[in-house]
Amino acid sequence: MRIRSTLTASATLGAVAVLTAGCLSDGGGGGGGNDNTSTTIEVMYAFAGGQEAGFKDEVNAWAKDNDIKIDFVQTGNFNQLINTRVQGNDAPDVALFPQPGIMKDLASRDLLADLSGVVDQGDLDKMVQGVLETGQVEGTQYAVPMSINVKSIVFYPKAAAEAAGLTQPPQTLDELMALTDKIAATGTTPWCFGIESEAATGWPATDWVENLMVSNYGADVYNQWVNHDIPFNDPRVLDVLNQIDQLLLADGRTNGGRQSIASNNFNTAANPMFDPTPGCYMYRQGNFVAQEGGFPEEVRANLDETVGVFPMPGKTAEEKPVLGGGDLAGIFSKNNKSAQKLVQFLASADFGAQSYGATGNWISPRTDFDVSLYPNQTEASIAKIAYESTAFVFDGSDQMPGEVGSGSFWRDMTAWISGQEDAKTALDNIESSWPS
Amino acid sequence: MSGTQAVTATPVQLPKQSTAIGSRLSRKRKHDPTAKSPLWVRIVLALICAAWVIPTVGLAVTSFRTQDDATGSGWWTVFTTPANFTRLTFENYSEVFSRADMGGAFINSLAITIPATVIPILIAAFAGYAFSFMQFPGRDLLLILIVGLLVVPSQVALVPLLKIYGTLGINGTLPAVWLTHIGFGMPLAVYIIRNYMSTLPKEIIESAKIDGASHFQTFWRLILPMSTPVLASFAIFQFLWVWNDLLNALVFAGQNAPLTVSLVRLLGQQGQGWQLLTAGGLFTMIVPIIVFLSLQRYFVRGLTAGSVKG
Amino acid sequence: MIKVLNALIAVLGGVAGAIVVYYLLNKLAELLPGRWEDRIKPYLYLLPALAAIGLYLIYPTIQTFVYSFANAQGTAFVGFSNFTDLLASKNFQNTLFNTLLWILVAPAGTIVIGLLIATLADRLRPGGEKLAKTLIFLPLAIGAVSAGAVWKFVYATNPPTQNQIGLLNGIWTGLGGDPVNWLQISTFRLNSFMLMVILLWIQAGFAMVLLSAAIKGVPTETLEAARLDGAGEGAIFFRIVIPQIRTTLITVFITVLIGVLKTFDIVYVMTNGNFNTNIIAVDFFNQLFTNNNFGYAAAIVVMLLIVMIPVLVFQVRQFRAEEAAR
Repeated sequence: MRIRSTLTASATLGAVAVLTAGCLSDGGGGGGGNDNTSTTIEVMYAFAGGQEAGFKDEVNAWAKDNDIKIDFVQTGNFNQLINTRVQGNDAPDVALFPQPGIMKDLASRDLLADLSGVVDQGDLDKMVQGVLETGQVEGTQYAVPMSINVKSIVFYPKAAAEAAGLTQPPQTLDELMALTDKIAATGTTPWCFGIESEAATGWPATDWVENLMVSNYGADVYNQWVNHDIPFNDPRVLDVLNQIDQLLLADGRTNGGRQSIASNNFNTAANPMFDPTPGCYMYRQGNFVAQEGGFPEEVRANLDETVGVFPMPGKTAEEKPVLGGGDLAGIFSKNNKSAQKLVQFLASADFGAQSYGATGNWISPRTDFDVSLYPNQTEASIAKIAYESTAFVFDGSDQMPGEVGSGSFWRDMTAWISGQEDAKTALDNIESSWPS
Repeated sequence: MSGTQAVTATPVQLPKQSTAIGSRLSRKRKHDPTAKSPLWVRIVLALICAAWVIPTVGLAVTSFRTQDDATGSGWWTVFTTPANFTRLTFENYSEVFSRADMGGAFINSLAITIPATVIPILIAAFAGYAFSFMQFPGRDLLLILIVGLLVVPSQVALVPLLKIYGTLGINGTLPAVWLTHIGFGMPLAVYIIRNYMSTLPKEIIESAKIDGASHFQTFWRLILPMSTPVLASFAIFQFLWVWNDLLNALVFAGQNAPLTVSLVRLLGQQGQGWQLLTAGGLFTMIVPIIVFLSLQRYFVRGLTAGSVKG
Repeated sequence: MIKVLNALIAVLGGVAGAIVVYYLLNKLAELLPGRWEDRIKPYLYLLPALAAIGLYLIYPTIQTFVYSFANAQGTAFVGFSNFTDLLASKNFQNTLFNTLLWILVAPAGTIVIGLLIATLADRLRPGGEKLAKTLIFLPLAIGAVSAGAVWKFVYATNPPTQNQIGLLNGIWTGLGGDPVNWLQISTFRLNSFMLMVILLWIQAGFAMVLLSAAIKGVPTETLEAARLDGAGEGAIFFRIVIPQIRTTLITVFITVLIGVLKTFDIVYVMTNGNFNTNIIAVDFFNQLFTNNNFGYAAAIVVMLLIVMIPVLVFQVRQFRAEEAAR
């Protein structure tokens, strides 16, 4: 009796399995973009803190005038969550992508609206071109930048660094190396460096590698490398790692020594610059460390007097390539007029002019943005570095496949810096993790 | 969630001797209850208890510290440095409500947890009744299927459910989350309730039958009231499980994030300040701690439910 | 507030709806001739519960099984290649190794700690026993996400030049050591063990309650007899108490084991599987939502199911033995 019922049960299960086997999904894994016509639209984004607060204020003021209601949804794990929502046929109306990789993937599955008919070409022409291009798939614009960050900048404590020998910003990579040697020769450590960022530990190291890739070899080679047209472990990348070794990892170059880098949080790694006797003199990091959570409060209150910035130099004094990132706005609800209006607004010259620009938590992607609106000279000059760059390249790890860009690249750079792997092994490991 | 998740899959079997946790009162104690225990026992236990409690104390203390203090010095310095003590503040709590919208998340948590806890009870009770008091072909097989499903991880169901919900267009709504919890919690609910019901004296059913009561009437008038303790135990389990769940909420809740999801967001942005994380963390714990402390008796009984035999 | 109201309406509607459904099903059965009524009724009572189980567990399990043989998008079959690719990848091998480590260490550790506390607390006066048990039991109520927030402040690391804010490093540097980044050191899988401590912290209370009840159930006469025979406390514990509570030990072991295999939130919250701490349930989530790979995700769950089969078989046999003993 029992055997017979077991048999029946397994036969039934088998039949169901065969039936369901016929119904594999027809591709893409679920649609996205609810075609609502509502004037309440949902916007999903990754930035938090002051950046989020300023964004809400600016957008809410605009939305009120246009009879649109915005639901703001912040999420830290943006890529995972946007995938979840898309797979569940529950995509937000508008998404502000922090990393273009996932945006391109969704666009190529036809889930995002073509923005060419939505945003004026005149507005697009005003954008920092390197960022704008990351919003395109095969020449079609699927997302437009609505904020940028600049990573090719070096912060230094004005008075102390001048006393230590930083009298004028280095114009070439060689001069930067010479300056490093000069400060180190006085017995103090030239660089602050920290790559700890909880579960994302390692990304600040990838920025260094990317920055030196573009500084040494230019935007074309950089983009080939990011797109995997040349292997990840190309000899030129190994050269860059050796350069980092000389600049940052050798004895006496980094505050706290090589072993401390992996446990030093990127947001607070520069704080010893502001000690009475500075623990270090230079910190290369994105403009966001000058915001809440980064530099100490009293430093931020007196930013222009306390902190100096210079752009990371290129190979020659004429080349000024800049590494940066940004958030790109795309539309899932293709025919929703309110969503279109919102993205038009985000791309327009008006966006940020009212209050967001003055918060100090946001830099406009438009080169014609009035830099006097930024709250201090420091931020204005950082923005100008981006606006006047000879080439602006988008953060490479943000564009690489997730397995590499937010996986092995972070992981193996951390292992290399903390001395668990040599440079060659680290690069080989990353190359072998690239999905075929 | 692994904590309570594990428990929800607990077909607890206690040895015959330990009929119930309360039985120690009727039994002669091994040690005279008024006698002092050896000093070393008390010291070791005090140390263990301290190790268990101090991490939470750290979280609680930090939640009242300013951002610069929280990132600049250990929380324990509050007790050693008076200046650190005087700077304690409630600001983190007001900030975590305005900035991370913990208030909204709290409402979402309630709106998910209440239906997910209450609705399955009746459904499982009917099934438990059928398993305990009715004879029908396939009964053992179905029961064994349910016992087997206690072990199956809910991960298996995520992708297909995401697709079904997507077709129905209910992803990102609160019912999507609590319906899922009802489905996932059902095997345990049926199992615990059935185990309890099968310990109720069969004579009651028989005499009710003789008096002409139908199954439906017997269930409502006799069995359901008699089963209140086990229903309460299951409700507490399910409440804690759902309240503390992260996985299903991440996948199905969309913009209606409950407390666990909001807390994970705070965990991911420690650069913005650890002190907010701590305030959010403590706030998230309040409800389950209250539920747990006030209903601890039922909770323990639920754990030992499988052993309660007639 | 509207949401809570909606939730209450859902509760009332759900319960009322269920009552109506059962009432109608019952009426339906009563319309049938007597013999059929008795035959059909049990199934009608079971129907809603079984429907929920079928829709939420059985059907999806089969579907997932099918997906495990399909490609990343779930559009074409690829045979066993998801399984072979995964098993060949070094990352996944590490993930499996870590999972195995969790299986071997966490349940056993939980039992040892739970047993220790249960034995000691049994010797306290009732008031003290209750307090100690409540304190140790409490983490079970707060859940893994909140536990993650709590333990962030235990494992936090600052560079040596700054004050330590993590408790463990506070103690460690206080003793003269250099700050250690507890969650990033994968030598000897130190970080995985650190994460297991959190699970232990949560689960020990559960083990304690069950084991304590079992220990109290050991007949006093047996213990007294052994004492009269001159057996030491150690001998009594290992030769008499442990064998007597064997069934409970196994139950606790199995339960924690199942919990360990499903563990997702502790690792997701603390390291997201980075620094070589990945375990199978987190890898599943990341394959599914970070890498968008349905095939790999499904294959991982199927492997998880395969690992669980012995547990499942054991569970069912245990249940049968119990039923037979009734």
